[in-house]
Amino acid sequence: MAATWKLEFPYRRSVGPVIGAFLTALRDRRVVGVRAPDGRVLVPPFEYDPETGEALTEIVDVASDGVVERAAWVTEPLRTHPLDRPFAWALVKLDGADTSLLHAFDCGSPERAQSGARVRIRWAPETEGHIKDIACFEPAEG
Amino acid sequence: MRDIAIVAFAQAPADQPAGQTETLMLLPTITRALADVGLTRRDVGFTCSGSADYLTGGTFTFVQMLEAAGAWPPIPESHVEMDGAWALHEAWVRLQHGDVDVALVFSSGRASLGVSLRETLTFQLDPYYLAPLGADYVSLAALQGEAVMARTGRTERDLAEIVAARTGLDVDKLLAEPYVVAPLRTHDIGPPVDGAAAVVLVAGDRARELCERPAWIAGIDHRADPHYPGVRDLSRSRSTTLAGEKAGVGNGGVEVAELHAVCTPEEIVLADALGLGGDVDVNPSGGGIAANPMMVTGLVRIGEALKQIAGGRSRVLGHASSGPCLQQNLVCVLEGRN
Amino acid sequence: MADPVQFMSHFTTVEYRVPDPSPLNVYFAEQLAKGRIVGHKCPQCGKVYMPPRGYCPLCVVETTAKDEVEVADRGTVTTFSVITPLQYQGQEETDDYVQATILLDGSDTTIMVAHLDGVAIADVHSGLRVKAVWAPESERSGATGSLARQMGLGSAVTSWEATGEPDTPRDHLAEHIV
Repeated sequence: MAATWKLEFPYRRSVGPVIGAFLTALRDRRVVGVRAPDGRVLVPPFEYDPETGEALTEIVDVASDGVVERAAWVTEPLRTHPLDRPFAWALVKLDGADTSLLHAFDCGSPERAQSGARVRIRWAPETEGHIKDIACFEPAEG
Repeated sequence: MRDIAIVAFAQAPADQPAGQTETLMLLPTITRALADVGLTRRDVGFTCSGSADYLTGGTFTFVQMLEAAGAWPPIPESHVEMDGAWALHEAWVRLQHGDVDVALVFSSGRASLGVSLRETLTFQLDPYYLAPLGADYVSLAALQGEAVMARTGRTERDLAEIVAARTGLDVDKLLAEPYVVAPLRTHDIGPPVDGAAAVVLVAGDRARELCERPAWIAGIDHRADPHYPGVRDLSRSRSTTLAGEKAGVGNGGVEVAELHAVCTPEEIVLADALGLGGDVDVNPSGGGIAANPMMVTGLVRIGEALKQIAGGRSRVLGHASSGPCLQQNLVCVLEGRN
Repeated sequence: MADPVQFMSHFTTVEYRVPDPSPLNVYFAEQLAKGRIVGHKCPQCGKVYMPPRGYCPLCVVETTAKDEVEVADRGTVTTFSVITPLQYQGQEETDDYVQATILLDGSDTTIMVAHLDGVAIADVHSGLRVKAVWAPESERSGATGSLARQMGLGSAVTSWEATGEPDTPRDHLAEHIV
């Protein structure tokens, strides 16, 4: 067996006003996005419009539940994945948003990892202002 | 614009001794590429290389490999922390300045040094929204696979048929294999391997002197899509379409396309994005699905396109990709002229 | 209302395999264990590289076993630094010590000796003639590992002594240092 070594990156990143607004809201168990000049609400928010490059500043509230746009079932999670049991990656369009957020979907089985499924955020027991304040998505009907 | 041609391509053999350094993989590869057209390192006016420090686990690791190119006497030299295809683009730009006629491009990568390439590549992701979730390239490619199947009606059988056509394996046996991340099975994903390759670019008449059938770069362009997968339609690759337009794919079509897809759905997305019809031979080399020498895979596609021109084809495209879900794409159209 | 979030912690690790030593590194270490210091002599320019790296970076040609030469276990201190160790967290050194490069007789490349034991600090100077003090045969293992820079001669040599010979003149050093 080969010996291994680890490279560690202990980063503490400044977040700025736009990403900061998103993370601050997560800490409060809320979600915000940013409005682009064409009216679209981007969640998560970006500092610059991906289409036009314009600076974006208008923070907008969105819901904590929404619809799965796309899902892909993970049979064996990596140690770095958000969950340590099989789960689905999901792109979720929260109600009020025009783009989708990537996160884990704890749907329990590949059959439930479907586009169109209604989901809601399962919040972490403790929140700090981090994307993992969202522990994962869970089915909204369940 | 100066007419630039690719005149030589060499790739390090897959069987290397354990512990072989990238420098020693590159040294004979570069010698061979130059010797193929009767050149030595003394004839080169500019070198550009591609590699990734995250694969080696060190900073500025490409500096050691410069000795393979012959760092003495010093000549203009550059480097990109990208696939060698982008080093080729930079060399093409540099040759436009007119003071240099011969450029050497090379790239290498030892994916085997990392315990998990899937984990290592999360470092290329948005540090706030994606990297902390450990969203690896296979998972992201799987989402793209689901997207292209949902929009176009392609199925997992279509993915398996790409592999079956190239390997002779039975489609139903392939479909019986377990998923890694649905819809991707192990055979849908190009195995990451160590590799090295070199390409020689020559301008104008010098190319005609050195090579019977130079592969003229009729067009080369690269574009990027937004990074975050949730803001774009993963079933399409707008940057590939745009790069293809700017590189002039449409000005006469292509007979062969070497596409830098490292999994089966990517090949479908790319072929659609470039508008390739059923008459185009896609990845006769096997492509990145056969083997994925990270940081070299794209350069090899262009090298394989050169081989097609040398073999008698008139118009071939080589494509390279970088980033999650085909975020960045480079298209190079090569022409053989009689 | 708490303050807005201004920073985000992101602690990640990437794991790498310690690369296998190359066959040439393994061979070099085996020879060291036997008390032999070997190098490769470039067939074109004649420069001797020790440890051997399998190619000459000046001529850019590969070198192989047929290019092997033996290098003496004595040579000249070319440059050195007296290190006064800063007491940072993890520092193991407490007293001043010398880090030196040594050009062994027969080699054109130098080795870096991280801790020049065996010569008093005040006696170290450029041009000083030194010889290796070998570890007992059973305790020798050469420096290996393709990622690590070859530091000294691994554990095969435990310290260096002054030989008492006259210093190497400065102009003799200039033509060798690569």
